[in-house]
Amino acid sequence: MSKKVFLMRRADLAEGQVKKVTTPDGCPVAVYNLEGRFYATHDVCTHATASLSEGEIIDGDVIACPVHDGHFHIPTGQAMAFPCTVDLRTYRVMEEGDEIHADLDGESDAATSAI
Amino acid sequence: MNQECSGECSPRLRQPGASEPLPFLDDLMDFERGRLSRRIYWDSRIYQQELEKIFARSWLFLAHDSQLPKAGDFLTTSMAEDNVIVVRQKDGAVKAFLNTCPHRGNRLSFSDAGNARSFICNYHGWSFGIDGALRGMAGKELFDASGMRPQEHGLHPVAQVASYKGLIFGNMDPTAPSLDEYLGDFRYYLDVLLDMDGQGTEFIGGPVKSVINCNWKIPTENFIGDIYHALWTHDSAAKAILGGSVSEVYKEDNESYHVNHKGHGWEFNLDTVGNAATLGDKEIRKYLYSIQPEVAKRLGEFRSKMIGSISSASVFPNMSFLPGQNTFRVWQPRGPGKIELHTWTIVNKSAPADIKERWRKGAMLTFSPSGIFEMDDGENFEFSTRTNAGFMTGQQDLYMGLGAGSALPDSALPGNVHHNQVNEANHRAFYRRWLDLMKARDWTEVPERDASRLPASAFNHPAPEVAAP
Amino acid sequence: MNAATELVCAPETTARRLEQLLYREARLLDTECWDAWLALVAPDIHYWMPAVENRRRSDKLGAWEPGRGAYFDDSLRELSIRVARFKQPSAWAEDPPTRHVHVISNVEVYCTEHPDEYRVYSNFVNYRSRGEADNDLLLGRREDIWRHASGEFLLARRKVLITQSLLLSKNLNTFF
Repeated sequence: MSKKVFLMRRADLAEGQVKKVTTPDGCPVAVYNLEGRFYATHDVCTHATASLSEGEIIDGDVIACPVHDGHFHIPTGQAMAFPCTVDLRTYRVMEEGDEIHADLDGESDAATSAI
Repeated sequence: MNQECSGECSPRLRQPGASEPLPFLDDLMDFERGRLSRRIYWDSRIYQQELEKIFARSWLFLAHDSQLPKAGDFLTTSMAEDNVIVVRQKDGAVKAFLNTCPHRGNRLSFSDAGNARSFICNYHGWSFGIDGALRGMAGKELFDASGMRPQEHGLHPVAQVASYKGLIFGNMDPTAPSLDEYLGDFRYYLDVLLDMDGQGTEFIGGPVKSVINCNWKIPTENFIGDIYHALWTHDSAAKAILGGSVSEVYKEDNESYHVNHKGHGWEFNLDTVGNAATLGDKEIRKYLYSIQPEVAKRLGEFRSKMIGSISSASVFPNMSFLPGQNTFRVWQPRGPGKIELHTWTIVNKSAPADIKERWRKGAMLTFSPSGIFEMDDGENFEFSTRTNAGFMTGQQDLYMGLGAGSALPDSALPGNVHHNQVNEANHRAFYRRWLDLMKARDWTEVPERDASRLPASAFNHPAPEVAAP
Repeated sequence: MNAATELVCAPETTARRLEQLLYREARLLDTECWDAWLALVAPDIHYWMPAVENRRRSDKLGAWEPGRGAYFDDSLRELSIRVARFKQPSAWAEDPPTRHVHVISNVEVYCTEHPDEYRVYSNFVNYRSRGEADNDLLLGRREDIWRHASGEFLLARRKVLITQSLLLSKNLNTFF
């Protein structure tokens, strides 16, 4: 089963940037462009009320939450630094030409293959 | 929804009520007769007033540009007894905030320096952006329900932050004149340190921080105009590093000066390398001689002879440096009888790496807590302060009249110019400015004794290739 | 520094000799025998006491680094200049003299890759008293390389890490 939603066009997000997209159902999604490849996670930090898309991408593939500077690994959603302990929900991204879609019922490949 | 508070508005930094000046200030000094009361070094009422009337409204040194190269780079320092965080913003500006959480007052940053994306208080985890805005706190819903608006509880910003050629200063008083006005024509002399070749300066080696149990004005006045002490105090250091005594600078045939403007002062001769020579390293002297022609084209021949000459300077109220020897310091007050000395080494960015390294080591060998020159100054400063604990001692006057009649009112040089660097004219000018500020309830009551005559263009020097003939 | 080298203790006689040498060095400093102290130092000495900053654990730049602020960053030339000043009759801050005590302990002696060089760790407590009430206490650790040559040991490297980031003394009128 899958729930495919359109997120944005490729050109809408520059490399190294993150942007928030709210789906028609009201789900906030953070979309990331890491060196041309797109990723998506839930936008809300698992630690405290914060929008990850207002944070900063550091060390290439880590998102730092703007409030307490907790870190998550973007491809797997893994919580990496205090105070975050709960992993972030990721979504499988489908890049179809110019369009970026996500499957809200699927996890990213990296997350499913990670131990 | 309201705009997030930018921190520019003064209500976020509440000002003290303007208190009445102390009633006995005029008794403390007599500039005609060269008399100074010892009470200025010991009296705690005077010290408390200084915190308000000198430090909370003057431009105080915060950092050198080169210490904060990237967005998020920060350091903590003090403005008198206020601890502040100085942080480079994403847009390249520098902001400064009181280093205290507005919630219950805990200190926010415990580091001397670093790079941060946010400042988080250890007490309740309130989180602030590098722009000072309150980004988040646990249980935000409860605060919302209490009617609290986060925009009103960001970090307290230092009212004004400005820089001159790499030196970043802060001022707690939003009504204080701009940094350019405050420095005025003294910038003519500061360019000798900061603008030799248009490529600017940087700090290397430092900070080294130490405590000296003296009043902050004693070392400031030493650097603003006291070359006279070098002969006696520093004899041992001169013999150790130069093999001979300090040159007899009080001989009349030296062309030397005291210049001061708005309470800032520089005493100097024109031997180009006299200070640098105290490092005992001929490569440094060679470097100065090698750049001197370029400096002469940029700043004129007169100033090119100041770049490393026997000299010292202070910027009111408590920043000092030694050109050519390149130690740069702030005397941070910690009560009437104590300071924290913060010292760095300043060099031209364009100097070869080897020369910079020689300066880093040489400046610390000579002027640092282990410095062979500075070691003999510490005792002088401490005991000049401490003797005033004695009740009768504290009633006596000090002499500050050297160089009466040495003024050169027709000099073409900017500022108040006096002949002969063995002088106390700069000391008197420093205390004149001190007295003016101590007697004023706010900046509108501070007299303008030294008008600036030089236009802004006097401090914009063209690149060497297109220097005017 | 690799753990294997660290764990190779020096032979007992060598370790004892070096420990005694550290005590002797302290006594020379306490009694202002500057020339005798300088004679313990190798011609290629690097004598380093970095200034210590307060930085977060995660900060890669660390509390101290070569090339940053330092109280001593000396070769033999600079050490000799300092000794020359101590011996001047016009070193006013030394007249009347300061009373010094150096307490040395926690001495560990290890071999290094060089058969003639030994890594010696020690702790020091330095107490200085001047005049009536001018007392300073400074504690720290030292990491030395002592070199054996022509029947005696010479100090080739010393790194001194003091505990204070804000030095609570107005000067450092001795060696550590």
